[in-house]
Amino acid sequence: MKIKQLFSHNETYLMMIVIVFSLVLTIINPVFFTLENMFDLLRSSSGTAILAVGVFLVLLSGGIDVSCTTIAIAGQYISVNVLIASGIDSIGLAFLISILIGVSLGAVNAYLISTFNLPTLITTLGTSSLFHGLLLEFVGTKAVNVGDLPESIKAFAKVQILNINRPDGTSYGLSIFFVILVAIVLVTWIILKYTMIGRGIYAIGGNREAAKRTGYNVKKIQFFVYCYAGLIAGVMGVLHLSLIRYSNPTYLVGKELNIIAAVVLGGTKISGGSGTLTGTLIGVALITILEKNLILIGLSSYWQKFFIGLIIVLGVTITYAQNKISTRRNLAMRGA
Amino acid sequence: MGSAVFSLKRLKFKNPKNKVLFIIMISIVLVMSIAMPSKFLSGINIQSMASQFPEFGFLALAMMLAMITGGIDLSVVSIANLTGVIAAMILSGSLDNGMPDGTAIFLAIVVIIAISTLCGLMNGALIAFIGVPPILATLGTQGLFMGIAIVLTKGHSISGFPEQFMVIGNNNFLGIPISFILFIFAAFLVSTLLTRTKQGFSMFMVGSSPVVSRFSGVNNTKVLIITYMTTAILAGLASVIMISRVNSMRPGYGTVYLLQAILVVVLGGVDPDGGFGNVPGLIMGIFILQLTQSGLNILAFSPFFKKFMWGFALLLVMVLNHLLQKRNDKKKILQKKNNIVVTE
Repeated sequence: MKIKQLFSHNETYLMMIVIVFSLVLTIINPVFFTLENMFDLLRSSSGTAILAVGVFLVLLSGGIDVSCTTIAIAGQYISVNVLIASGIDSIGLAFLISILIGVSLGAVNAYLISTFNLPTLITTLGTSSLFHGLLLEFVGTKAVNVGDLPESIKAFAKVQILNINRPDGTSYGLSIFFVILVAIVLVTWIILKYTMIGRGIYAIGGNREAAKRTGYNVKKIQFFVYCYAGLIAGVMGVLHLSLIRYSNPTYLVGKELNIIAAVVLGGTKISGGSGTLTGTLIGVALITILEKNLILIGLSSYWQKFFIGLIIVLGVTITYAQNKISTRRNLAMRGA
Repeated sequence: MGSAVFSLKRLKFKNPKNKVLFIIMISIVLVMSIAMPSKFLSGINIQSMASQFPEFGFLALAMMLAMITGGIDLSVVSIANLTGVIAAMILSGSLDNGMPDGTAIFLAIVVIIAISTLCGLMNGALIAFIGVPPILATLGTQGLFMGIAIVLTKGHSISGFPEQFMVIGNNNFLGIPISFILFIFAAFLVSTLLTRTKQGFSMFMVGSSPVVSRFSGVNNTKVLIITYMTTAILAGLASVIMISRVNSMRPGYGTVYLLQAILVVVLGGVDPDGGFGNVPGLIMGIFILQLTQSGLNILAFSPFFKKFMWGFALLLVMVLNHLLQKRNDKKKILQKKNNIVVTE
């Protein structure tokens, strides 16, 4: 790719911001730029990144999904409870249950949105309240402690694909979470790039009416998008459980806006039809670095919300100001 | 509305949705009064219902204004938190201990209005000048404003306000909670703004179609900025009632109100796509929510069940609205077809 072409992409600028930010962090605290911290960041942010892929797909189709975190926690909490109740200690079963729940809850979103043509933000706000209410009322509110957690789930978090020994004999490595993230990103990329349904997602996000008249089945595509987002949320639920080794049905809920923010920062248009997976991942990187590393530069965690808000405001301001300027320039050129 | 006793048909509503809301509201009141007359119809219950919703009612009024222009304001609760925290700092004397109570209260209210106006100006500028979609702009400022509130308090709560200030949230005037009177007054002002002023009319125009309104000579930018400033001021005023009611302020207070505000606004007949909505409808929406909530409280339902109910109600209302709309459209098309036949 030519350099000039590189600079016409939003992702390039975003990546530069991430790099500059990392450099500043490294200068202030050299701990930041160590392989160990990087691996740790990858491990702890895999969940967010996976969820972001689902949200990205929904945004791409011209919708918005604020129920993803609720679906993730529902999948997690129900699957861990089933595992404990049945006595079957299997990570595979946990994933299976969580994914099934994710897909079915996603299908509820999909049904409401595609059949009744409802505004997606308000629909998913409604369903997230509905799902969470049901979960807390009928499944339970009691947190599952590490002691009660099935062994396979605890063991899963320790699986590493790359192991590096420290001089003192202990070791650290790249977690399996990263592999799952890569797999999901790859599958999503293939769907978007090589399948009709993937092209359809871009099409209905760009112009629904036009996509409909071209012959895309808008309802089917919307159904796929929300179910896929549900599936991804289900996977994330189990990863999150395995990572923090604790399941509290009130966790995660409320973090959805951060994830949407990461995707939007990554250059995905909120009106749909435009955005890339690379951008989404860089957006997640930026938000994660902000979230997890403020403490490294000596700022207390209560600055987190402020900085994330500030970054979103700045990010969208720059993007839309650029849009406005370029539209004006185009109009002026056409006028002349 | 005395005619309601005789016949519902004689009741005239400008908006057909309001008639449906009115019937729902009356039915809930009837059902609850018959099911548990001693608890539901007691003076204490009515008084406590009237004092519970105003803080949230202000947020709903705010949300309605943004939605009428086709936008949304996700930052209302954060604005209320930010202004609430700053007012709490002034009132509790943590900024200047020597201030007399009267001065502190006056200063706090002035500061609330000033800061919320600034917040609204920021939202409005992002949306109207730069062209950021309202949902994104307010998503960002939501974090930003709440972030400032958290940084200011370092996450702790602030309490201990002057006695006179607490009157607003806790006392009654002739048996009516003062906060309720304030809410009705604000609702009246908002209704006047929407139905009797040029700004109000322009807001509906912008909400229906920004392009048409622009070509009709409406200054969209100005209309939107004023809208988001008004929205923010209403959100700021909600914080006055919030902090005076509970005598303390903790950043993060009232985050559940965001969903509820959107819920009642949609329930009250405001179109999320903009262009439609009225204050009487919204007030009935709020009453329905409050009545149901009190009913569920009396029946000792858990807060989780209520959460479920709200989500369910929101979805139900939207689906019903959609089906109603579809039926109306079909009717219109049929009518048009018939007219064509007649004229031919």
